[in-house]
Parts: sequence; structure tokens; C-alpha cells
Amino acid sequence: MPENIYEARMAGCTLGGALSVACFIPGAVAVVHAPQGCVHQTFSMLHAMANESEVWTVPEILVSNIGDREVIFGGEERLSATLDEAAAKNPDLILVVTSCVPETIGDDCGAVCARHPYADRIVYVPTSGFLGGSAKDGENAVLAALARRAPVADLIPGTVALVGEKNLESEADQNYAEVERLLARLGLRITIRFCRNCNYATLMQLGTAACFILRDERAADAGRIIGERFGRPVIPEFPRGLSGCLAFLRATGAACGVAEERICAAVAEETAYQELMLSKFSNLSGKTIFLGAEPFAGTTAVAREAAARLGMQERADGFLIRLPFYLPIGTAGVEKMLYLWRRAVNNG
Amino acid sequence: MAENTCANPVWPCAMTGAVATLAGFPDICVIIHGSSGCYYYPRSLLKVPLFSTYLLESEIVFGTIDRLHEVVTEVAATGRPIAVVNTCVPALTGEDLKTAFSEETAMFVDAPGFCGNAEQGAVKAFEAMMPDVAADRPGINIDGINLLDLFWRGNLHETERLLALLGIPVAVRFCRDTWKNLRKGAAPVTVSANSSYASGVGTCIGSMLFPDMPKTIDRCLAQFPNADADAVLAEHQRAEEQMFYSCDKYLRKYTPPVVAVAAQESYAVFAKAMMERYFGSDVPVIFARDRPAPEVPYSVNSAEINADIAAAEPDLILGSTFEAAACRKAAFFGITPPDRSRVSVAARPLAGVEGGLVLIEGALNALMNRHAAEEKKR
Repeated sequence: MPENIYEARMAGCTLGGALSVACFIPGAVAVVHAPQGCVHQTFSMLHAMANESEVWTVPEILVSNIGDREVIFGGEERLSATLDEAAAKNPDLILVVTSCVPETIGDDCGAVCARHPYADRIVYVPTSGFLGGSAKDGENAVLAALARRAPVADLIPGTVALVGEKNLESEADQNYAEVERLLARLGLRITIRFCRNCNYATLMQLGTAACFILRDERAADAGRIIGERFGRPVIPEFPRGLSGCLAFLRATGAACGVAEERICAAVAEETAYQELMLSKFSNLSGKTIFLGAEPFAGTTAVAREAAARLGMQERADGFLIRLPFYLPIGTAGVEKMLYLWRRAVNNG
Repeated sequence: MAENTCANPVWPCAMTGAVATLAGFPDICVIIHGSSGCYYYPRSLLKVPLFSTYLLESEIVFGTIDRLHEVVTEVAATGRPIAVVNTCVPALTGEDLKTAFSEETAMFVDAPGFCGNAEQGAVKAFEAMMPDVAADRPGINIDGINLLDLFWRGNLHETERLLALLGIPVAVRFCRDTWKNLRKGAAPVTVSANSSYASGVGTCIGSMLFPDMPKTIDRCLAQFPNADADAVLAEHQRAEEQMFYSCDKYLRKYTPPVVAVAAQESYAVFAKAMMERYFGSDVPVIFARDRPAPEVPYSVNSAEINADIAAAEPDLILGSTFEAAACRKAAFFGITPPDRSRVSVAARPLAGVEGGLVLIEGALNALMNRHAAEEKKR
């Protein structure tokens, strides 16, 4: 729960967060014990995102469809019937999450799941809509529940797992590609995206990763559980900004036991790569800019660093630069941000 | 409406419908009494200012009335009318929210999501607004305008234009009007642009969807003897000829398209009738989002709808992009939200003369594009 009451009020619902993880496991079925309107919201979001990415299949979410009758007489039968329908699909896994309504009417969802014939393949996550916290809490609850099912295993050298990618952000795969590019400099490869389009069997190999890289602090709760469960290092976030990339290479290299010479070489290669990237924007040198409001924590620091590297001045009467509503990931993220700056400076 | 398990439900809840209805009166401050999770969806969908109590779990435990008072008091400082729309959990905890403030301070709409769909929420909003009919109010009300409808702006403009041609003034637009105008009282007579969003205010004498227009205009003439229908009927006749002409041209080259339809009941029936009349189409799949009708089953279950569509192998889908995703080979024209196949910012109607033309034009262009793409592949 966020400490700030304003943040807590605006923090969304666990259901959306939980489904943003649960719906990205091929071979699994997400079951939601809720009125159908709650799931329509998430389904619409997934549909919008899929259209943007030109992906035409959206994961199936089964909703128990709590209505007036269930509110009065209880909804456990509906949940059980929905689990029957889910089980009939013979999935690898059924992930059950709940909205605020069954929590309020007192349904014992855990018991329904436990006594179902498919119980051994059911993961029940009592998210409870907003009564269980925020969207972030929903994401972490599902990540943690799945991590607890993954067995402790021997480490496979040179492998890493990404944890808590933001499945609903439109540039999720571009960010992945950037992290993959950086890790390749260290000779590391990503074996598990926990949970983005990895099937259940792959997710259960989480314990083989030499280290875990969290998408950002949003996944910190799950990251703590994963780090403790497998006793391996956890990198707290994807690389942000130019110097952040270099720090990320050093930290991840060290966490995975990469030789110091290789880490130094990777940092040198990336530094040269960044210089080359910045040279494309040399016409911005000496320009004065004014960085607008920070829409996403951390963006201003990344922008200031890039401006300084390009020899730009920051002044109140400079070109107004609208900072992106996301944190630029890696050198590629900074490059995309600079294209927007160049457009603003050249075209007003 | 649905009692069974549903896969990927395609239609919003009652709370969203109630909010969309009330938000059609931009001078009303609409407060969603619920969590931010409930607030974000209508806010992002409708793109209009909305308020919320952004409830926390602790407020559910200790009661939400104080928080509601806090927000209502703050919003009341604007001096504008207030509507409070209730959501699932505060509707279940047994608090007497309806009497928590006077009717003068705010109207209370108990439309928790579990009580039904968007249309049922709209009905609850109308009940709370209690629009009076003023027997002496001249003109006619326009009904069936709802911000959730892809065509609401176009339908409103087109219906106003046609009524102006008839010489009949517009009284109240349900729902895109001012609270002040509503409080003057509605006219006793109403026409509808989309009967799935019925206000129930006044006597509805008919629909302004293209096939229904001649009858509706006859009834208008009976109610308003001084109205002049010649121009509208001439337009209707010209549009009819144009649609036959364009479809005939298509049918010289191609066989009648097999069509799948999924939309609100009013638009579904309309789309089916249009495709049968002008293309001679078979419509083997038709689903209504809000209520069943003769030969039109109800479903909001995306898996069920899409399985039927895929099995029918239609040439054309008239529905939302939820259905379009089921059969990528088929041509598609969006008649119900969401339509993510295109950027849509202009006001296009589905009602009236232009609405009929928009549907046939959209269907023809989608089909021709599909044929062109197939040709290219060969």
C-alpha cells in the first residue's frame, strides 16, 4: 500500500494488475471471480494493446459472472462452474483471481479451488479487487504466487530471468530487445520472461537463472520473494538513461559472475555506441531547452544527463520539451527521446 | 443479463452505462462512488471530466459516507448539479447512501456493475434524473444518444438536420443537452436514433434508422400537422436509389456477401435489414449485445460470438474489432465499440439518411478493399 493517501487512492485495482500478468502465460487459463463488467475493462485494454502491436489473438479470460443472484445467495457455485469450464480446456495452469465483490459477499474462493478436481493445477491468488490493494499489488501477487511454485534448481551459468515486464506498455518488446542487446555484450542470455509469453513449464525453470532483473521498482515485492527463494542476486530495474546503461552492465555482470575484463570491455563498447548515437543529434548542441513537468518519476534525470552530454542548456525561456510519459530504457530509449526533442527544436 | 460463465466479455457494466448517460449533460458533475479501478475505465472510454471518491479499503470497513460527503461538498462548490453513481462494494455494504444527502444536493444513481449491463445502467440514470414531460413543450425529443455509441455525434447532428428539414423543433436531446434545458421539461413526443438506449421519456413514435424512417415520418406528420416531409422523403428516396445503384454495381462482379453482425439490438437488426435489402445478403450470424430480439440471440461472450463467426466464414463482419479479430480474412466495418480498425474522430452517423449511406458505403469499401487485397495476393 503506498504511504501517500493520494497515491493510494489513485493506485487502481488489483484485478487489472493481476490479469496483466496472468493473461500472458500461453497454455494457462485466467479465471476471474467477478461481475463480467470488471473483466470487460481488462479485456478491452488487452484488445487495444493487441491491435497496436498487430497481434490478433487476445488471451481468453473466463469470468464467473457474478450478478444479483450471487450477491444474495453467494457466488461459490458460479466459481466452481467456471473452474469446470476452465478445466475442460485441459490447461497447464488455471490462475484464479478475484474482484472486490466476492470478498464483500464472503465467498470462500480458496476452499472452492482446493476441493476442485483440478486443484493441483490451480493457483488461487486472492486479489480481491481494490480491497486487496493496488494494481501493482495485483501484479506482485501473481508473480509471487507463481515464483513460489517454481522449484529451487541448479543455476545455469550465463542465464538471466526478466521479472515483471509491463505487459500493457506498448513498447514492452522494444525494451526487452534493448536489455537483450546490452546483456549480449556480457555474454548473457535471457532464458525466462517471468511472465511474458513464456509457458508454464518455462516459468517453472525460474530457479535456474543466475540472476533476476526486475522491470522496475513496481515488481520489487515479487523480486524480494524471488531473490530469497532462490538465493540469487536481483537487479532492481531495467537500465535507465545513458550512465544507467553502463551501471547496469557493471551490476549485472558482477551479479552473474562475468569476468572483470569482459565487463570493462562491455562498458567500453557501450560507451562508444552511445557516442555514435549522440553524434546523430549534434545539431542540438548549444540549444537551450526547458524541460516540462516530469510525468514519470526519473525521466527528468535521464533527460538532464542526455542534454548535458549533447552540450544543451536548460533555461526557462528555452524550447519547451515535453518529457515522455515513460522512462526511456537503455541507450535506445534515450535515442527515441532525442528524436522527439529534435522534432520540437527544429519545428517549434 | 447473462447467467453463465463468460469468456472475454465484450460489453460494459451498468455503472459505465449510467456514467455515460449522465455525462451527456456536460454541466452535471458526475461522481463515481468507488475505487480508482472503477473510475479509470469510464474516464478513459468517455474522455470527459469525471469525479470519483477513489475509495480505499479502510473506508469500506468504517463506512464510506464521510468520504462521499467530503467529495460532494467539494464538488458542490462549483454550483453545478451533481450526480453520484454507486459501484459494487458500497452497494453491498448496506450503507444508506441515498439519504446521505438531500435530493437538491445531488442525485443518487445506484448502478453497481453486478446489476447489469450498460443499457440497464442508463435506465437507472434516467430514473434518477426524473425528466418531466411538459405537455406544452413544443417540438420533439431526440432519444438514443449515448456517449458510448461510436456514432452518437453523427446521429445527433443528422437527426437534428432531418427534424429541421421537417420544420419540427428539437426539445431535449437524450443525452447530449444541458441540465437547464432538461429541467424545462421534455416534449411529449420522442424519436430515437438508437432504441437500445431508450430514455422512456415521452411517447416514442419511432426510430430514425434508415429502414424505419418512412413510418417514423408518417407519425411525425400525425403529431405535427404543419411539418413538411417532402424534402426528407425525397432525400430518403434518392439515398435508396443510390444504395441500390452502388450495390448493383458490386453485385455485377461479386456474389452477395455473407455477413456476420454483432452489435446492440437496434443496430444489429438495422444492419441485417440493410444488408438483406441492398445486397441480398445471407446473415447467418447475428448477436445482440444488450437484449435478445426475434431471431437475434443475446451474447456478450466473445468466445461464443467469435466461434460462430469463424464457423460461418463470413465475407463481411459488421460489429466491433473484437469480432474482426475472430476472422481476419473477412472484410470489416465497425458499428459497435470498440472499433480499433481506424482512427475515428469525425462525426459519422448511423441514423437517418446519411446513416444508411454510411453503413452501405462502409460495407462496400470494406468488401472492395478485401477483394483488392485478394487480387494482389494472386
